[in-house]
Amino acid sequence: MIEWLYLAVQAAALGMSAWFFVDTARSQLVGRRHFVGVAALEVLLLAQLVVAIAIVPGEAGDGKALFFSYLVTTILVPVAACFWGSIDRSRWGIGTVAASGLIAAALMLRVHQIWELQVHV
Amino acid sequence: MSETGSEAEAAPRALAAGFGRLIVLVYVVFAVSAGVRAVFQVVVKFDAAPVSFTLSAIAALIYLVAAVAIIRGAGALAMLAVGVEMAGVLAVGALSFAVPHWFPEPSVWSHFGSGYGYVPLILPAVGLVYLFRRRRD
Repeated sequence: MIEWLYLAVQAAALGMSAWFFVDTARSQLVGRRHFVGVAALEVLLLAQLVVAIAIVPGEAGDGKALFFSYLVTTILVPVAACFWGSIDRSRWGIGTVAASGLIAAALMLRVHQIWELQVHV
Repeated sequence: MSETGSEAEAAPRALAAGFGRLIVLVYVVFAVSAGVRAVFQVVVKFDAAPVSFTLSAIAALIYLVAAVAIIRGAGALAMLAVGVEMAGVLAVGALSFAVPHWFPEPSVWSHFGSGYGYVPLILPAVGLVYLFRRRRD
């Protein structure tokens, strides 16, 4: 993993989550600007995936399948939360998407851990 | 904003609406991640820690039941699943300290879910409060 890209993903996930939780407190419905926010996070996550596809197969560790399963899950969670949250007419629609940012950050922490302990050894 | 308190709505609200939607997301994520991990562990290295891996698989199943019950509006089943989950994390959490040699590898619930940021302990507590409040309404 490229360290600065990993940190950018973490910053984006946590930043998106904080922003969306503010909108949860303000009882905003899920709107276009939120989709743009999720899309920005997804672009970084997909960049992470492309980089991983390029460099992970050349590493020595045996945790590659585990690494990719976590990374793909991380990519899917905010998108799924977007669909699931946008159908809600209460403040917890965007609250659900906000929570997905925290989940993505936690999953990325695990991805990074797997990289350090089981892939890039 | 006009779309504030959905609490004020007269129509009955689905169990998976409002805050329930966030709970369902977390349950689904836990069901999938704990489930995939448990299947992997049971298939690849079951003998290394049979108690841990069996308990992880059971936990994943309970997360799935809770998620589906909330989505389908089955309040009683959701309450049962989340109650079993609470009992499970407390019992397994205590056991993992009392009889550590049963847990050479951690399960989702060992040490009260410390490997998962204690979310396995917080989640059923939040879930039970939510379900009780919704039943009272």
